[in-house]
Amino acid sequence: MRWWLVLLSCMVATSSRADCPLDLGHGTGIVIFSDRYMLALRPEPLRIEVGQPFSLLMNVCTKGSEPAELVRVDATMPEHRHGMNYAPTVTANGDGRYRVDGLLFHMPGNWEVAFDVRSGGEVQRLTHGFVLK
Amino acid sequence: MKRLLLVLALVLAAGQAHGEALPGWAPEEVRAVAAHGPWPPAPVRDPSNRVSGNPAAAALGRHLFEEPRLSPGRQVTCGDCHQAGRDWGDGRARGFGTVELDRRTLSLWNVGYRHWFGWDGSADSLWMQSLRPLLDAREMASSAPAIATLLRGDKGLACGYERAFGEPPGEDDEKLLVDAAKALAAFQQTLVTPRTPFDDFRDALVAGDRAALQRYPVGAQRGLKLFVGRGNCATCHFGPLFTNGEFGDIGIPFFVRPGEVDSGRHGGIARLGDSSFNRLGRHSDDVSDAASTRTRHVEAQHRNFGEFRVPGLRQAGRTGPYMHDGSLATLEDVVEHYSTVSPDRLHSDGVPLVRPLGLSAHESADLVAFLRTLDVEAPALPPPPPLCP
Repeated sequence: MRWWLVLLSCMVATSSRADCPLDLGHGTGIVIFSDRYMLALRPEPLRIEVGQPFSLLMNVCTKGSEPAELVRVDATMPEHRHGMNYAPTVTANGDGRYRVDGLLFHMPGNWEVAFDVRSGGEVQRLTHGFVLK
Repeated sequence: MKRLLLVLALVLAAGQAHGEALPGWAPEEVRAVAAHGPWPPAPVRDPSNRVSGNPAAAALGRHLFEEPRLSPGRQVTCGDCHQAGRDWGDGRARGFGTVELDRRTLSLWNVGYRHWFGWDGSADSLWMQSLRPLLDAREMASSAPAIATLLRGDKGLACGYERAFGEPPGEDDEKLLVDAAKALAAFQQTLVTPRTPFDDFRDALVAGDRAALQRYPVGAQRGLKLFVGRGNCATCHFGPLFTNGEFGDIGIPFFVRPGEVDSGRHGGIARLGDSSFNRLGRHSDDVSDAASTRTRHVEAQHRNFGEFRVPGLRQAGRTGPYMHDGSLATLEDVVEHYSTVSPDRLHSDGVPLVRPLGLSAHESADLVAFLRTLDVEAPALPPPPPLCP
């Protein structure tokens, strides 16, 4: 079930940059990116369980030298077109580091987490899928 | 070399237990069934209740549970609606305090493992939920001064309080009201259902114990396959408690009477936020605040209107009638509902989680047979220990 964490921890190892640390510790994490942004995230606790709250520890960067801001995080089950029953909060900890609290996947299946990031005025949405069994 | 052989033998044994297909059970089905155990789970402590898990508090709570003076002038006890002989429910379609209520009385079995309480989740702790009937004018119709006076004035209860809380009852009436509810919660947390025939089957399936598997009725096995498979039941009735702990709309009408609706979870979230007794208030003992995450982040949404608790299914066959309004009398009626529910009653933009299953008579009987393997005769509780011998 947690094979993706192992796989993605390898991605972390190959994607790390000195000016945008994508390794969030514990040798594991998830990296997603677009043409402009790079996001590293690690669930806390590491293992996401159905019906249990979890947080995300994140580093948010642009591929250039501009700072990036994490504006909003939310999650949905695209197949069923419903979201979570909870509204996560985003806390900035400086230097592109963020903590997202209050996530809870209340049923097994495919969840998609959306990350709204911006640098300057433009907001771009990056997504990542989680499969809970 | 011997150590290597031992490791090899262990790996092979593990492979036999977990990797080898069992007759009639696909690995994916085994994994789905395994998610409904093991049972019982480890006891939980509620950090918002400083006497959670405290035997002296549970003893005080047990006495208070059967104490008619908690309901001054009404002589109604907690145990009148949550009867031990009726699996901690009342067997009625709708609860009855001093008048008939709008919802069915929930059984207290395994209540300590919940995160939201009541049909609408308007309480975020068991002690907060225990306050509601104490203060509700339609039920026990009590008050903080009445309960505080009782705890201070009754020698036995005052002694039991001191043993549970480490100090004699003080002068703060509201604190004593809440402490009474916390003792009631400490008692209710001890109500854990015993192991069932399903648990034995689940463990045998996980262990690959073919002999033990055969002791589980074939009809129940077929029903279980429906439950975790085509029926899609396990999506919401998830995990060892057979509930994901959240809320859903399964097409049960929510009109209480002509012109009046029960808004369910939508109203529950509003009442939770309005209450000074939730986990974010001054009565919570949770110094870390870690257990208040759900309360802090829950958000009312339009779709919560008409949603009600996803109930756990352990002892379900013994705790009917069913649904929030008691509108379905038997387990057979419940299965029939899911088999024939009208899509028009369900509000879903995407692939619906609940849809008419179109079960045959045999399939319906199999599903009921499986659900009945979640029932077990629980031993009677011993008489409550004296508060202060």
